[in-house]
Parts: sequence; structure tokens; C-alpha cells
Amino acid sequence: MAQLEIHNLTRSFDGVLAVDDVSFDVRDGETVSVIGPNGAGKTTLFNLVTGVDAPTQGRIDFDGRSLLKLAPQEYAGVGIARTFQHGRVFGNLSVMDNVLIGAYARSQAPSRGPLVELVRALVQGKAVREEERALRREAEEILALFGERLLPRREQQAFGLSYANRRRVEMARALMARPRLLLLDEPTAGMNPTETREILEFIRGLRQRGMTILLIEHKLSLVMELSDRVVVMDNGRKISEGAPHVVRNDPKVIEAYLGTKTHERERTARSAPAERGSGGDGI
Amino acid sequence: MDPTLRTFIDQTINGLAIGNVYALTAVGLALIFGVANLINFAHGSVYMIGAYVGWVCVTWLGWPLPASFAAVAVVCGALGVALERFGLQGLHRKARIAPLLATIGISFALDQATQLLFTANPQSFPNPLPAERIALGGVSIGAIDVLIAVVGVSTAGILFGFLRFTQLGWALRATAQDRDAAQQMGVDVEGVNRATFGIAGVLGGLAGALVGLYFATVYPTMSFQAGIKGFAANLLGGLGNVPGSIVGGVVLGLVESYGVAAFGATYRNLFAFAILIGVLVVRPAGLFSRRRTLPPEPMTGTFVPNSRPVRVPRAVVIGGIAVALCFPVLVSDPYLLQILTNAWLLAMVALSLTLVTGTAGQSSLGQAGFMAIGAYASALLSLRAGLPFEIALIAGSLIAAVLGTLLVLPAFRLRAHYVAIATLGIGEMVNQVIANWDGLTNGVLGLTNIPPPSLFGIEMVTPRATYWYSLALLLLAALLQLRLLRSHLGRTWRAIREDDVAAQSAGVGLNRYKALAFAVSAGMAGMAGAFSGHMYSYINHETFASSTSILALTMAILGGMGNMVGAVVGAVLLTALPEVFRGLVDYRYLVYGVVLLLLVRFRPQGLLGTV
Amino acid sequence: MSSREIGASNDALLQLSELDTFYGPSQVHFGMSLHVRRGEIVCLLGGNASGKSTTMKVILGLVKPRTGEIHFDGHDLRPLSTPQIVRLGIGSVPEARRIFGAMTVRENLLMGAYTRRDRAAVAEDYERVLEIFPRLRERLQQRGGVLSGGEQQMLAMARALMGRPRMICMDEPTMGLSPLFVDKVLDLIQTINAQGITVLMVEQSANLALQIADRGYVLQNGCIVVEGDARDLLLSSDIQEAYLGGQEYVI
Repeated sequence: MAQLEIHNLTRSFDGVLAVDDVSFDVRDGETVSVIGPNGAGKTTLFNLVTGVDAPTQGRIDFDGRSLLKLAPQEYAGVGIARTFQHGRVFGNLSVMDNVLIGAYARSQAPSRGPLVELVRALVQGKAVREEERALRREAEEILALFGERLLPRREQQAFGLSYANRRRVEMARALMARPRLLLLDEPTAGMNPTETREILEFIRGLRQRGMTILLIEHKLSLVMELSDRVVVMDNGRKISEGAPHVVRNDPKVIEAYLGTKTHERERTARSAPAERGSGGDGI
Repeated sequence: MDPTLRTFIDQTINGLAIGNVYALTAVGLALIFGVANLINFAHGSVYMIGAYVGWVCVTWLGWPLPASFAAVAVVCGALGVALERFGLQGLHRKARIAPLLATIGISFALDQATQLLFTANPQSFPNPLPAERIALGGVSIGAIDVLIAVVGVSTAGILFGFLRFTQLGWALRATAQDRDAAQQMGVDVEGVNRATFGIAGVLGGLAGALVGLYFATVYPTMSFQAGIKGFAANLLGGLGNVPGSIVGGVVLGLVESYGVAAFGATYRNLFAFAILIGVLVVRPAGLFSRRRTLPPEPMTGTFVPNSRPVRVPRAVVIGGIAVALCFPVLVSDPYLLQILTNAWLLAMVALSLTLVTGTAGQSSLGQAGFMAIGAYASALLSLRAGLPFEIALIAGSLIAAVLGTLLVLPAFRLRAHYVAIATLGIGEMVNQVIANWDGLTNGVLGLTNIPPPSLFGIEMVTPRATYWYSLALLLLAALLQLRLLRSHLGRTWRAIREDDVAAQSAGVGLNRYKALAFAVSAGMAGMAGAFSGHMYSYINHETFASSTSILALTMAILGGMGNMVGAVVGAVLLTALPEVFRGLVDYRYLVYGVVLLLLVRFRPQGLLGTV
Repeated sequence: MSSREIGASNDALLQLSELDTFYGPSQVHFGMSLHVRRGEIVCLLGGNASGKSTTMKVILGLVKPRTGEIHFDGHDLRPLSTPQIVRLGIGSVPEARRIFGAMTVRENLLMGAYTRRDRAAVAEDYERVLEIFPRLRERLQQRGGVLSGGEQQMLAMARALMGRPRMICMDEPTMGLSPLFVDKVLDLIQTINAQGITVLMVEQSANLALQIADRGYVLQNGCIVVEGDARDLLLSSDIQEAYLGGQEYVI
């Protein structure tokens, strides 16, 4: 059963097609990655899927229901959680509070009108306190997934964490929503190889537990290792799709990344690198 | 000639003259916005100082007009440069709210310094120009109209030439379009920044001097109105758009002139605020842009600085409350008690502000407007409906909460600095409406004989009684707020402040929580306003001026954003200290301005840190 | 794959050594080194987010490395501001061209000569640049923003030339251009180089850039993983390996 279905998605900016007629789907329990060289349209595609931007044409359905009419804050409610490219945590909030925000969409507190919510926050009756306690327990379980990285720091403010830990907090926040689809935007950007390895193992763990994941990532070795399927974009179009080893050897993909080799240019003869005056008597 | 037509032409000439001056002010703001990506709240102060320099040169020194204008240009140009160099340089790397606060602090300091030098009284600025008017087919034009037209058009011409044909002008345009690329051409963008503030200073100063001449008077508070109007004109033409600002200024001048003719002089300032808010909400990119959105805020840095709040031990807080409660038993000096009563009421406003701005991240400069709504609602309910004080106070507070939220509602789509501008405008508009709605509010005459605070029918009129009453209300408000902050609501507000996009992705609907924050905040500010009204027994449209909003902001920042103990400490420090050192009373606003400037630079997280 | 620079050369015009660069808390360069000799065309290759563009920003002083050294013709660039670096003779063709859209083509060109005071020579260069880019001559009074992508790229290159640089840094000069313009731009880079100007270009399209370059470096995750003579690199499979990754995730 297909969970996320993208049909003929197109987004043009002033006549330039940033995403051009792209279709693919992500099925239950699958990990699908989108890759492509700079300017291929990945970020635009991700913005469309997360509701930050609206397509010029095409459809995005989740469980047979269109996502296009949803406001950004309604995605969490239908079961879609995301992380951001450079990690957006709430700096002055504790790690625990950061993760608890993740449960917002499924918690009871805001489920009725704003005035009821205000009164309940003031009164803090038994039901409210019990829900809060249960969520805290759950948040600790999720933090424990990262071993000793976050759990001992749960009352620290997030701005003081290392970069890698902040990205972990972000993932914990996304998981706290109990999503049915997880959108990861370059989860290892800016990480060193050891940290990258750890995140890779973490995502692999999520995958084994049946999480459905759509991943945008530049580190292709990681993509190749994690994905069930890879979608390759170039100049806004989908140029290839398939299992990692298939895509990796697809000549179209190689050309998109490395440029064309077809008509070799004639090298013009140039004088050997010579010493130049400091004035730069060029032009 | 038909008299109606003649009046119409007269009004048009008036509108063009004033519009010319607004345009000069707006162009300076546009240049600064374009190059430095900053809304300069101190621009009105530079304008006011221009007016004073002109006045000093003409009436004290007896200089001819051209020399006086040259002096205005030199002084205000230098002031602009100094303002950038000493007030703003380096702040763009700090929290997003920092440059905004710095310009507010500068504006406070400059206004108060002028007031100290020349008193708060308006000074007469006799026009040295010949009094005859030039008759043109039944319509007459005064020499001052001609002067304004000449200065306005020639300045626009010089500016055009400068931007188009000089190297610095090119550098300025290039920097405004693409700062990084300009640097890669070798442009010293810091220098360009400073030059821009200098040019804006010259233009603003000239505008101030012209207005001083036109209305034959100068006074320190002219800065605020000028700043708002310049900004309205700039917004109308598109932020950062120089030709647009000129058109915006002229349009605003004409609207005002026709509006005053149609509705009366007291309506003059209402138009600028209406245009300001209307444009922000409906067409934020201005009249001439195809875009429907505001230019993006500078996104470097966070909204509030990251900091670890100072943990104040519970014992210290309880001890402090105990001391405050026992204070009237130990000290009977009524003056001191009165000052502290004021401190408690302002602390309530600071708490309300630290909730909406500190906790929820919506910079509000409109708290005074909420206070005015609460004060008028409560006063009218007890005066006209005969409600007892307690009921009127609660009702006033609720009315402030509902009305305040509804007024700010259209501004929910705005972010950071624009929220500050919109709420400032809303606060001022509340006062303008109060001044003009004679039937309900008794207009500029204000409300008198408001019954004093009472409890169960017993009047609380002694300094001790009002002291305890206000303190009790403050503690009650603080307890309610504390409860909210410790709930999921507090967490959600703070998440919105830190990163609204990430909060949305977790399912948080922004409008709902902005509305809740403004409602609680406006209710609390309204209660403080209502109590003040009953305590003073007299209020008018100037009792709750925008300076109170800015004062409350300074208190909240001094204490640390979102920090409740900090807000109270800030309120006590800023209210009581100038009184303790009696000599400082006259310099109060100067102290506030300098405190704000120093805080932004050296301790942006405030005394006790952001919570 | 070698992860270190082999023998930094003495006749280098530009020398980057052991750079560690950060954007806030996230690290972009991990001990990155490279050099450019006088008169060379050197291309810096790499996939997305490998740290190529940051290298350009570091050379131009827009981003400062946390550790490591940058020398240009004997000058230490680390303490210098971008305008000072430009004055030393480094021109820039920025990523996405970054021309001044609201200024005319003529004004854009003269902005390139912003740091120069030798008016007569600027006027001469202006004529010479227009000879190299005749298309721009037809558009002198048009605003930069209305030019096509290819024309904007030419304008950005011409603007950089107006500063009489000794070296030009070009960040993805062929990105987003039609194949016809790509060829044209590569020809122009050779023309510029033939006039004695050293060129350091960042490119994603390795096979294109290596056709006109003398030497190439491949950046991967902030480290130089491959370097060598352009012809050798064109023929080797190292680059494909570096771009598309091995079967295993090698650390």
C-alpha cells in the first residue's frame, strides 16, 4: 500500500521549472531517498511535500488524502513529522521541553477551544497532570534511544548542546509525534564521519522497526546504504529511480553528477604557467 | 473663483508642503532600511534635533536661513554617523531584537537630552521669511510653501545625482542590492552603512527644521510623531524604496490635509496610524511592489539571546515578597509608598509585556494602549453604570483582553520588528480614538472624578492602602502567570518564540497561541491601567502614552526576557532608582535610554537572563 | 585516495593549509589544503555540500576559518577584510552570479573597478572587456536584472575582470546555463586565463571543468580526497567514486 503518493508535481518560479512533472511514491515501511546535484530541485520538492511551498501543478496524497489543502501545522496531525536541514531546535528550552513539543499534535491539552485550554492550563487538574507525566516518561524512552547522548542532558538548554546532539534532539522531537511518515532533510549535514556513522545506525534502527522514511541527503554512500529505493533528480526532473545499486550505475545519473563526456572539447594551447608581474598586466 | 475649489486648492498646497517634509523623512528611513536592513526608531529624534538646531541658529544666533540649514545638515549628518558608529555597529551579529532596541534607547536618550537643554515647553520659531503671500489666480502661496518646495525638490535632485553619478552613491546602491557581492567588489560596506546614516541624518534634520518653520514651533516630543509618519510614508511606498517613499510622503501629506479639512484638526495623527496599520496588514510590500509580502527580516541570530537564567532561590523570592508586604509598616513616608505603588503597577505592565514579548516572542510596543482600554472601560463602568470598583476592574481587564486581542489580530501574520511597529501604531491609535470619541470618552477633556479603588465597599485611599492593594494585584497576576508558564501553554509559547517554523511542524497553530498570549497580556496591562485610573481619579488620552510601553519594554529587558522575577526587579529598579537618587528624576528617560543601549550591547540577556 | 596535499609548492600564488571552517557549530572543512600556482586554471570539484563554495568564501574573507592558514602572494589573508583582499588582486565571480540587478550593465561593470583610482586605465579596460564580451556592449544601458542567465554570467565575469585581478575565483560559473552557453563560458575562462590571470573555479560538473583546467582537486565532506593533473583525473574513476560513493560507507 502506498502511503505518500506524489503525482506529476510541478513548481515553476517565474516560468523556470524548479520541479518538473515529478512522480513517485513511498510505501509503508519503506525508506526512499531523493538525491541530485546542486540546483536539481530537491529542496523545492521537500518544501512542497512539507507544505512550506505550494505546487503549480500536481498532487501529493498521504493515505489517499490530499496534503495540498493542509496548513503547515496540520501535517503533524495527519502523522507526518519532519526535521530541518540545519537542525532547528528551541535553543532556550530544555532538551526535555524540546522533545515534549513534539507530542503537541497528539496531546489532549490543546484539543478543545483556546479558552478551555487557557482554563485547563490555569487549573491543571488531574487529567492534565497525568497526561504530562505520561508524556515525560515517553520522552525519556525516546531520549534513551540515543544511549547516553541526551538522557543525562535532558534538563540542559538546547543551545548549549553540540551540533550533533542538537540534530538528535530534533529527531527525538519528530519521533515524539509518533509519526507514520518521517521526513529527514539532510540529517548528517555538517557532521563528522563518526557522527554520520551513528546517525546512519540510528536511521537503520528506525527502519528496522518499520518506520516509513523519506530522506534527502547529500552523502551518497549513506543514501546507498540506507535506502530501499532512490529517486534521482536533475534540473527539476526525475531522471532515475530504483534500487541503490541500479541508480548508482545508471549512465544518466553519472552524467548528471559529473557532466557530459560525450563531445570532448579541444584544449586550446596555452602558454605554460609563467611568472607574472605583481600589477597583473592581464586585460 | 468658486470658494469650494479655492479651499480645495489651499488644502492641496498644504498637503503638498507637509507631504514634502514627510517624504524627506521617509527617504532617510528608506535608505537605512535598504542598506542596513533596519527600521530606525531614532530617526524621529534626529528630525527633532534638526528642528532645534534650526531654531537655535535662526532665533538665538540670528543666522540667515541658508547658513542655518547648512548647520542643520552638518549637525544632523554627524549625529547620524555617530548613531551608527556608537549605537549600532556590531549589533547585527547579536539577537534579532537588538538593533531595534538600540534605536529605541538612542531615541529616548536624544529626546530627553533635548528636553533637559531646552525644557519640555514648545519654543516659538518665528518665520524670518517675508509674510506676503504670492497670489496665483485667487489662490495664495506663502513663502514657506515655496521654501519647502525648493528644499524638497532640490534635495531629491541632489540625492538622485548622488546615487546615480558618484562612486559612493553606486557603492550605496550596490550594498543595498547585495551586500556580499558589493564586498566582493571591494566596497567597505561598514563605511557605506555609516555614510547612509549620515545622509539620512541630513535629510531628517532638514525635514525637522522645515516643519519647525512651517508650524512656527519646536518641541521635544515632535520626534515621535515624525518617526511614525516617516515610517508610514516609507511603508506606503515600499520599505527601502527611495522614489516610492517620496510618493508615499506626498500621499500621506495630502490625505492628512484633506482629512483634517473634513473631520477636524484632532484627527490629523489618526490618518498616519490608520495608513500604517492598513498597509502593514493589507499590502505590506507597499503600493508599488508586485510582491505581496514584506521583505524578509534579517534572520541572523535568534529572537532573544541564548542564556542560562540566574536561579533565584525560592527563599529570596519569598523574603522579597515579605519585605514588600511589611514595608508600609516600617516606613510611613507617603511619597516613598506612592513611588513603590507606581512600581508595582508598572511591574504588572512589565510582567504582561514579558509574557507576550519575552515568552511568546511577539515584540509588543502597544501595552499602553491596552492600559488605556482597561482604564477607560473600568472608569466608565463605575462612572456611568455605577459598578463597584472590583467588578469594574475585572470587567475593564476583560474588555482590554478581548478588545486588545481583536486589535492586534490583523498583525498576527507579521514577524519581529513589524509586530513592534504595528503594536506601537495600535497603541497610539487607541489614544487617538479616545481623544476623538467625545460621546463615549469625553474626548480630550478626559474623565474626572473616577471613584477611588475600594474593597467590599471600603475605599482604599491612603498611601498604605493603595500600596497593599496594588501589591496584592501584582502578586495575583504573577501567580496566574507563573501557573501558565509552568503548563504546556508556557512551553508552547516559548517554542513559538524560539522558532515558529519548527513549532508549526510539531502541529502548533501560531495564531491561536499569539491570541492567547496577547489576551492574557492585554488583560493584565488593562488591569494595571484600570487601577491607575481609579487611583489618579483623572485620565485622558495622554495618560497612557507610548513612552509607557517602551518603559515597560526596558524593564522587561533589564530583568531578562520572559523572566518574571526579572520583570519585577526591572520595574522596581527603573521606577525607584531615579527617585532614590533624587537628582536623577529629571534625567529619568535619559537613564532609561542609556540603560537600554548598554544592556543591548553588554548584557543582552538582562540581569537575570532569558527564561 | 589521498586525503592530504602532496608537497605544497613554493611558486604557489594561493596557498590554503589545514583549514578547519565552521558555520556556527557545524564543521565544513576538515583540515583542508590546496594551492594554486601562477597562471594556472585549477578546478575544485565535489558533490553537493562538500565544502566547495565555502572554500571560495574563505578565500574572499566572507567566512573566516577557525584554524589553518591562507596566503596569497606572500600576504596572510586571515586578518584581512573582504575589501582588503579584493584590493590585493583577487576577483570574484560569485555563485549564482550575484550581479546588481537594479543597476545598468555599465554600472555593474564599473562597480567591478570600484577599488581602482587609475581612471584612464579603467576606461581602457572597459573597452577591452567589451571586446571580449561584445554581447554586453549591446546591453550597456539595460538593467542587469533583465539579462538572461548566460548574459548575467558574462556580466559577472566581465565585472570581475574590471578589477584587474591577478586571480579570479569562480563559483559554479556554468550552473543553470544552457549547453551552448556552457561552452561559451568555458571558452571565455580560457581566454581570460590566456591573458595571464590565474583562475580557481569551483564546479560540480567535473568532466566539463577538467577539460579546460590544468589541475583539479576533489572535495568530499570537507576533505580533499583526490588531486592531480586534469587529464589524469578525467580518465580516472576516482572522481566517480568520490561523487557517488562506494558500495560500503568507508570511514
